[in-house]
Amino acid sequence: MASCAPTKIVAPLEEGAWQAGATLGRPQINDGSLPMLGVYAAKGISNARTIYGGAGLSSSLFGAIQLEGGVVKGITEPVGWKPGFSISYGANSFISARNADLRVYPDAGANMYWKKGPHIAHLSANTWIDPTWFLTRYDQGQLLAPSFGAGYRFRYRWMEIQAEYKLVNPTRELVVPQANVPGINGLGGRGFYYGIAINF
Amino acid sequence: MKKTILLFTALLALNSCQDIGGALFFAGDGTYEFTNENLETGYFVNETKIHRFETYSENDTIQGVYVGDFSQIENDTIIVYLHGNAPSMDNFWSTIGVLANLNEQHHYGVLMYDYRGYGKSTGTTLDAATMQADYNSVLNWLKDRGLTSDRMVVFANSLGSLPAGAAAAGNSPITVEKLVMEVPQSSADAMLQGATGLSLPSSMITSYNFDLGSDMANYSGDLLWMHGTSDDVAPIDNARTAMAEHQGTFYSEAVYEGAGHGLRWDIGNEEWSRVLLDFMRE
Repeated sequence: MASCAPTKIVAPLEEGAWQAGATLGRPQINDGSLPMLGVYAAKGISNARTIYGGAGLSSSLFGAIQLEGGVVKGITEPVGWKPGFSISYGANSFISARNADLRVYPDAGANMYWKKGPHIAHLSANTWIDPTWFLTRYDQGQLLAPSFGAGYRFRYRWMEIQAEYKLVNPTRELVVPQANVPGINGLGGRGFYYGIAINF
Repeated sequence: MKKTILLFTALLALNSCQDIGGALFFAGDGTYEFTNENLETGYFVNETKIHRFETYSENDTIQGVYVGDFSQIENDTIIVYLHGNAPSMDNFWSTIGVLANLNEQHHYGVLMYDYRGYGKSTGTTLDAATMQADYNSVLNWLKDRGLTSDRMVVFANSLGSLPAGAAAAGNSPITVEKLVMEVPQSSADAMLQGATGLSLPSSMITSYNFDLGSDMANYSGDLLWMHGTSDDVAPIDNARTAMAEHQGTFYSEAVYEGAGHGLRWDIGNEEWSRVLLDFMRE
C-alpha cells in the first residue's frame, strides 16, 4: 500500500498544463509481483511548480480509501548533461471504510533529472514520514519510510509513458506471512513501477 | 474533461470493499489418505484407531480425523490439534502421528479438523466468525461424547493460533485449561504493519482483527509457547510479546536458536515430543 506508484511528477509541467494518468506498481513478492493500481491528476500552476492529487485503487478494493496530494517544485532546469533538480512535498492518507480509522503520512522527496526532447531520465529519493509510528503493535514502527528510484519517462505532446525501478523501505525487513519479499540484503522491497498519462 | 477525471477517480476510490482475509487463507484440496504409509517411521499408529468424522458448522460440513477410540473420549486425555495455513489436514498428518505416539502409542487421543474450505470441508473460511463457528462445532462434537476441560489439551500451530487464542480467552464450549502455541502469529495489526512498514491498522484491509496478546491476557490456564528464532512467517519478537501477556496459572516457553516456522522438523521429533510431554504432565 505504501510507495505503490512511480514518482508522480519529476520535471514540472508547464504553466496551465494538465496531466492525468494511471499507475501500476509491481513490487515483487515470491516469484511474482503485486498489482498496485492508482490514478492521478496534476496541473502546472507555474513553470516551476506543479500540484498533483491521486488515489490508490488497489487499496480501495480492500476497504482503504487512499488519497494523496502534493507539490513538485523545480529548483534548476537541466542543461545538456547537467541535470535539473526538483523537490516534492505532500501527504498520503488512508481511511478505513470499515471503521473510519485514519492515517496520514506526509512525504518529501527530491529528483535529479535529465531532459532531452521527449526523453526524461531521473533518479529520485522520497520518504514517507510516519507521525503515528508509536501506534504500531510491538514497537515495529519507524519514523521514516524511504524509497529510491531510477526511471525513464517519455513525454511527447499529449502522452507520457513512465517506468521506474524502486527500492522501497530498505531500512527494515518487510514480513508477509508465508511469502518472500525480495529486497536488498533482506531489507525492504523492490520492483518495477509504471505509469501512463495524457497531457492537455 | 477535468470533471470527468475527478468523478472517475472518486468513484473508484469509494468502490467496493473486499476483505483481504480470504486471500490469506491457503485453503485447498485434500485427499485424506490417513494411513501409516504417510507417517514417519517410528510414529505409526494402529490403523483401526483412525476415524474420520463430520460435524456441521452453520451451513457447512467440517471434516475431521480422530486417532483413538471414540468410546474412550469420555475417559481419555485428548489433544485437539488446530492446524496451520496449508491446503488441508493432509499436510499435518505426520504431526498427528507423532502426537499419537507421545509417551507411548495411543496414550492420548488426537483430533484434527479442516476449517471450512480447507480439504473436503465445505464453504469458505473468511474471518474470526467462521473459524470460531468451526471450532465450536468440533468442540461440541467432543463435548457430546464426554470430553471435559481437565482432559483436553488444545495444540495450535501457526494459523491455528487464531481460533485457539479466542477459544482460550473464553470462547470455547469446553473451557481451555491447557494450551500449546506453536509458532503462533501475534495480531492482525502487527501483520499489516510488518508487511508495509507503516502504522496502518488492520481495518484498512480486513475485519479479522485478531489479537493474541489480548487473548492471552484473558486466558487463565496453562500455556506452552514454542518458537524458533529464525521464523520468517511468524516473527518471534511479536509472538514473544503477545505470549508475555499471559497471566495464567502456568507458563512455559521453548525457544530454539536458528529454527524456522517448520519447528518440529528443525528441532526433531524427540525434542519436540519431550517439551510437549513435560508440559502435558505439568
